[in-house]
Amino acid sequence: MLRKYDVLTEEQVKTIHEETMKILEEIGMEFEYEPALEVFKAEGQKVEGNRVHFTREFIEAKVKLAPSQFTLHARNPEHNLVCGGDNIIYMPGYGAPFIHDVDGNRRKTTMQDYDNIVKLAGASKNLHMTGGTVAEPQDIPDEVRHLKMLYSSIKNSDKCFMGSAEGQERAEDSIEIASILFGGKDVIKEKPVLISLINSLTPLKYDGRMLGAMMAYAKAGQAVVIASLVMAGSTGPAALAGTLALQNAEVLAGIALAQSVNPGTPVVYGSTSALSDMHSGSLSIGSPECALFISASAQLARFYGVPSRSGGGLNDSKIVDAQAGYESMMTLMAASTTGINFVLHTAGILQYFMAMSYEKFMMDDEIAGMLLHYMKGFTFDEDGMAFDVIAKVGPGGHYLTQKHTRKNHKREFRTAQLSDRTAFESWSKEKLDTNQRANRKWQEVLANYVPPALDEAIDKQLLEFIAKRS
Amino acid sequence: MSELFAELKQAVIDGDEDIVSESSQKVIDQGVNPVDAVQLGLIKGIEVIGEAWKAGEAFLPDVMMSAEAMKVGLGLLEPEIAKLGMSEGESKGKIVLGTVEGDIHDIGKNITGAMFTAAGYKVFDLGTDIKAEDFVVKAKEVGADIIGASALLTTTMIGQKQLVDYLKEHNLRDQFKVFVGGGPTSQVWADEIGADGWAETADEAVELAGRLLAK
Repeated sequence: MLRKYDVLTEEQVKTIHEETMKILEEIGMEFEYEPALEVFKAEGQKVEGNRVHFTREFIEAKVKLAPSQFTLHARNPEHNLVCGGDNIIYMPGYGAPFIHDVDGNRRKTTMQDYDNIVKLAGASKNLHMTGGTVAEPQDIPDEVRHLKMLYSSIKNSDKCFMGSAEGQERAEDSIEIASILFGGKDVIKEKPVLISLINSLTPLKYDGRMLGAMMAYAKAGQAVVIASLVMAGSTGPAALAGTLALQNAEVLAGIALAQSVNPGTPVVYGSTSALSDMHSGSLSIGSPECALFISASAQLARFYGVPSRSGGGLNDSKIVDAQAGYESMMTLMAASTTGINFVLHTAGILQYFMAMSYEKFMMDDEIAGMLLHYMKGFTFDEDGMAFDVIAKVGPGGHYLTQKHTRKNHKREFRTAQLSDRTAFESWSKEKLDTNQRANRKWQEVLANYVPPALDEAIDKQLLEFIAKRS
Repeated sequence: MSELFAELKQAVIDGDEDIVSESSQKVIDQGVNPVDAVQLGLIKGIEVIGEAWKAGEAFLPDVMMSAEAMKVGLGLLEPEIAKLGMSEGESKGKIVLGTVEGDIHDIGKNITGAMFTAAGYKVFDLGTDIKAEDFVVKAKEVGADIIGASALLTTTMIGQKQLVDYLKEHNLRDQFKVFVGGGPTSQVWADEIGADGWAETADEAVELAGRLLAK
């Protein structure tokens, strides 16, 4: 495994920490949720209206309670995931309201898209879990969307999946559903199975919906990603270091709340901070600034001793083209090589989280596979050094007919799944670009995918619960 | 006097609220015609920034700060104009803006407001989490041409439909043009709920308003 690299010096990390404490002490944050304010009051923090001023002792002590890593359990234990340390978890994009089709046309996301993306993630060798809200099923009424999505995630794959962050009630539904699947609330409290995405409302706020969900999950012992997306220049200062401190304040306050509700709650330090384009105001995530935020977030999470979430195949392009490719590779590579543990949005995202694309999903899956191989680094065992075969072939000659080659290339080399490595003549028969090849590929994968069987009794119970709640 | 107008114009271009405020106060103290101060000072400044924006020379903070500065000036001069029983002169149109009920995201709406201001419209920004009824109350009060409703979430977009429905129920649908916008919205959605206009960006919204109000 390659060593993760740092983008900040130790001194700079400390400075960010100090600035963060100043923000939390002097400026404070707003929490639009009475139960959260009650928690902070009980912890002796200064609460005026919705505004909370924190003491550094409180924040630092609470953050220390968060585990440095935890295991997320899947219905197939082979897919259990360790979140933290040197581990990396890839998964699909989250929350996009549109699908961009192969021809660049845009349409609303549907339940069918949700099912399909879960299946593609289930089939992928490179994606470790199926994520959550992989496409907003807009053909399903809002009140029951979370139920249908959870069921699809369970039915169509046996990898880990995410819970709903849409308020306390839907979090509790998610917990009920997970309890049915895993054999009770006590079981999942011991072994977390759900992880959910709690976002701050930058700058320096959390809304009631997110806080309700966060507190419900913390009580049930389920994992939460506590994430901040500062748009430098609009919802944050046009300053990268200042933005980092602002983001850090929001995330640490969220972690402190989760730890106050239930000490030891598995949390992930989350960031997708990026910038506002100064011409359009739009979020821009396929940017070097975003890559810096990703890398610094990994480092800050290491400093606090918690797992990190950021990055992904992030880009601002509208279709699978060169821009989508080069931007996504930069951000996913930054995340992977600087030590991000939980990589939401690894596959499928186009146009700054606005859209999912099946073709982009396949391209990102290939990028993810390339990076997983890259991060393995060099192997220094006997076969890796290959002295004997170098001696055997000697000067001149070639290695193609050596046993060592035949045996070793599968370990040392990765076979491309989507990239075209053929010569000109073969390529020129159809002249397919990445977008077109990916379009064929996902249809092929989907046609061949068989979802792993789900226990019939459990399936029945799940459907009954969903019917009762619908 | 023309020096004072030039000062106002430059302060709007610079997005300097303090100087706009000082100069506007001078207009009032010295008994200068406040309508002229608006027309030959503030508006001239915002026109310069509007042109620079169109040419791609000005950035978003330039336009937004100029719009804010302009608002400060109007805040001081408008009461004076009313007091003197004068008319401010025609604006291109009046637009009431807000983010729909249940939604608190406002960056896109704020940008849109600034762009409309820069383009010569009078903007009444209600803020976030606004009920259909409150949009309409304000629109009636100011005699708005357009009501603009923003939503960032797929779960709050419905507030835009509620606005259109509310207008229909109260026989007010033909009184105002309804514009909708925000991340998850689209032309298809606007057509579905019977809105008059949809735009993906603030610039496009301003263009659309120009076309619709010209009819």
